Amino acid sequence: MLLDRRIDLNLAPVEPCTLDPAALRRVEQYLFQEARLLDERRFDAWLDLWTDEGRYWVPRHHGQADPFEQISLFWEDRMLRETRVRRLLNARNWSQQPVTRSSRLVGNVQVEGFDGEGHLVVRSALQYTEYRLQQRHLAGQVFHKLAPQDDGGWKLQLKRVDLVNCDGVFGNLEVFL
Amino acid sequence: MISKEEIAGLVRPDSVHKRVYTDPAIFALEMQRIYGRAWIYVGHESQVPKPGDYHTTRLGDQDVVMVRAQDGVKVLYNRCPHKGAKLVAEGDGCAGKFFRCPYHAWTFRLDGSHLSAPLRSAFEGTGYDPADPQFSMAPVARVDRYRGFVFASQSATGPDLKTFLGGVASSIDNLCDRSPVGEVEVVGGVFRVEQPSNWKVFYENLHDTMHARVTHESSFQAARDEAAAIGEMPFELLIQDGNGEPYAFWEKLELRAYHYGHGYMEGIFDPAAATRDPVARAHFACLTEALGEERAREVLGMNRHNTILYGSGSPHTVFQQFRVIRPLAVDRTLVEIQVFRCKGAPAEVWDRALTYANLINSPSSNVMPDDVEVYRRCQEGNATRGGDWVSLHRYLGTDTMLEDGAVSTNGTSELPMRNQFAAWRDYMLDTAGLPAVIAIHPTECSHAA
Repeated sequence: MLLDRRIDLNLAPVEPCTLDPAALRRVEQYLFQEARLLDERRFDAWLDLWTDEGRYWVPRHHGQADPFEQISLFWEDRMLRETRVRRLLNARNWSQQPVTRSSRLVGNVQVEGFDGEGHLVVRSALQYTEYRLQQRHLAGQVFHKLAPQDDGGWKLQLKRVDLVNCDGVFGNLEVFL
Repeated sequence: MISKEEIAGLVRPDSVHKRVYTDPAIFALEMQRIYGRAWIYVGHESQVPKPGDYHTTRLGDQDVVMVRAQDGVKVLYNRCPHKGAKLVAEGDGCAGKFFRCPYHAWTFRLDGSHLSAPLRSAFEGTGYDPADPQFSMAPVARVDRYRGFVFASQSATGPDLKTFLGGVASSIDNLCDRSPVGEVEVVGGVFRVEQPSNWKVFYENLHDTMHARVTHESSFQAARDEAAAIGEMPFELLIQDGNGEPYAFWEKLELRAYHYGHGYMEGIFDPAAATRDPVARAHFACLTEALGEERAREVLGMNRHNTILYGSGSPHTVFQQFRVIRPLAVDRTLVEIQVFRCKGAPAEVWDRALTYANLINSPSSNVMPDDVEVYRRCQEGNATRGGDWVSLHRYLGTDTMLEDGAVSTNGTSELPMRNQFAAWRDYMLDTAGLPAVIAIHPTECSHAA
């Protein structure tokens, strides 16, 4: 259920996590790979990164506590992410002709710790440039909650993008940030 | 200066000259003759709950501030009478007990009247007079409200708000009546979306039933494909699927046109809407307890889609939204999207309004980008030398004239556009106060044509 209030959105870690340099590098590489899939418009591969309950969230307000009492620029579960991808790939997607091109720079990666459900909370900075008819630049802080998998990898439980201009005026936001 | 003959020549019974969308001189004139006179929605009382609270916005090309004073809501031009600085910055906030200019500390009561200026002795023997209105913040000529919705008119004369709203007041009523206590409040923030196109295109599109399954093919098809993949069509997909209805569906709708360019699009009254799904049933139970079953069915059975309040925007009663349309330039339009909570209604009713806002009206909507794209293409296409006229021919001469307006005989009629431009022309031709009644020229939309 999209507005299921039981989902843990708390970003403050309840358990510390210290990673050796190699493990930290693996976390960084995971974020870089996620960014790359979006930049290369490999949406199906990007959809596969998520847990079943995973949520993609871009708040509308600075410091927004949750997506239940206030509007959000994006609040999407698997079904809505898939629907967005289906639209982006539809032949009659007039506002994607030409398509949106993007390039993102992910940096300042910091592992915050584990949340109450054992997800790794990772903070990073995003510099995002997009081009469709005009160039646009967006930037902000990103919080990922990574769910450890049996094979040693991760899946996305939460991706929260806090844009510096979340309360500003926008043109269309068609692709995932 | 554009002559009356020139303006009159821009609107034909069946078409409109593209210049109305592209000429900056026309836009400047609209700011005077439409936005400078008509009743324009400023904001909702709930946006300024306590004395001192303010909300800034624009009435046409004028920056104004809606503020809660001790004796009610005021609408003032956002200008200090000293040097002209805007007294409050963009956005919402609280001025406290009075406005204080950040430039030279002149202060004003919450109703805009002059309170003080520092080192007053310097004004002795000058023409400075705190009681003279030229040393106060200027109020907009007229302010009135309808069930918590605050409107302002920059013209001291003309019809009152209730007369101006006419038949579309029923949309505001229905929005409020969905609360068991008859009140709504703006909650959760406001989306602000910019469209690279003229403001009138958006109004036309709101009742353009022929575009839905063409322009929105990518979003309704995506929703249908997803529903097929997961084996159900929940609310989130259903609201993206609706645009895919066949032409026969749209033909059965009723387009109602009122004076001043207003109107609404209506499904047939549907009493079953009150009990269609668990959210509606909870809402129905709540309203039944407060108002009785008959009234509850009447309120929730009003299955009205987009309403047009020409000059203000489009309230949506069923999902409690208001898309407020603010022209910025001849080719730029700002849309402020408000979401309302029906006070006292079940929590699920808010959830549904929130989801509708996030999925349909936010900048990330799957639906709206294709609208914005075609508006932009109209704006740019109309800048070419490829032709001068925009067609409004659809079902011309078939609409039924009524006492207070007109109604389509076919839901794909371009009656709303013809009605908007009939009003537009009358606004633009009348150079004195707001005309009392804007005719929906019978010869232009009845069989007589």
